[in-house]
Amino acid sequence: MRLLKLFCSSLLLVTIAGCAVGNEYDYQSASVSLPLTGSGELGVGVVDNRSYVLSGDKTPDFIGLQRGGFGNPFDVMTASGNSLTQDMSTSLSDALRDSGYNVSSLSISSADPAAIKSAVAANGVLKNIVLTVTEWKTDIYMDMTLHFDLLLEVLSGQGDTIASNKMQGEQKLGGAGMEKQNASTAAAAFETKIGRLFNDPKIIDALHN
Amino acid sequence: MKRLLVFLQAGLVLALTTGCVNTELMADIDPSADLVGLDTFYVAKFEPDDRGIEALIAAELNAMGKTATSGVDPKPPSPVDAVVTYQDKWMWDITMYMIELTVDLRDPETNYKFATGRSYRTSLARKSPEEMIQEVLGEVFKGESTGVVK
Repeated sequence: MRLLKLFCSSLLLVTIAGCAVGNEYDYQSASVSLPLTGSGELGVGVVDNRSYVLSGDKTPDFIGLQRGGFGNPFDVMTASGNSLTQDMSTSLSDALRDSGYNVSSLSISSADPAAIKSAVAANGVLKNIVLTVTEWKTDIYMDMTLHFDLLLEVLSGQGDTIASNKMQGEQKLGGAGMEKQNASTAAAAFETKIGRLFNDPKIIDALHN
Repeated sequence: MKRLLVFLQAGLVLALTTGCVNTELMADIDPSADLVGLDTFYVAKFEPDDRGIEALIAAELNAMGKTATSGVDPKPPSPVDAVVTYQDKWMWDITMYMIELTVDLRDPETNYKFATGRSYRTSLARKSPEEMIQEVLGEVFKGESTGVVK
């Protein structure tokens, strides 16, 4: 009888928590390839505009949920320990360097247009890329779903918008796997979304002209 | 009591065995990509791959009526419409089997990934590498028209 109780409680514990606890994904090393080549200076900044981060409900390194056996959620964090936007900025900057640009980082305190404008003006670079992340999280139970809301803007040296492209929605990325597989699926989704945001004639023209 | 134990054991067996049958097949194509216009391909070998998957992918593309070559160099030796990259993952269960194959189509100039396909098959749903390649490429080129997002 005691053995049965032990078995049941162990099974319950494994079912509830299982592989759901302590998951981390690496967006910093995501290998983004952009549909353009160019040259010159670019300021690059990524801003966190996720409501649950701004409210303090989640920390900036929160990147999604991994659910246990009964759907009970556990937070997934960045592998680097950095904020999501910092990891995205690293990856985006690397991609732009690979495309031929000299990249400098913009230090943007909030998604408020005035804050963005002032950060851009302070950097003193003629062309700037700002990615505003209003939503980015994966939610994994039986399937892996990505919730995203991204705004990519090309800004002048004064912080005026030259071109923008927005993408938002929910997308099933596939079945849930182990942590490593989920992490690689999430990074691949990030690579794809960023590439698609740039693959817009308005964005490409704004960067080339 | 005995009945509860049997029920628990059956549930556990069911959970463990169905976990071995899991398949996923999906493709994601850039809406602005025109796959119809792609005729020539170069399949670049995935560095860790020592099973010659690049040659199998090229063979399947040729069987589909395209013109494809493969090699170890990441860059194509001559101009092509698209570079194909891939990642294969293998697992052991009695024998080694391919658990996952991801195939990407990229712009030769910028390396931009405009189409991707993926097949994931756990042990009891396993298929040969040739069949995995066939189903992934089949899914990618299923619409073979502009703007198909699956």
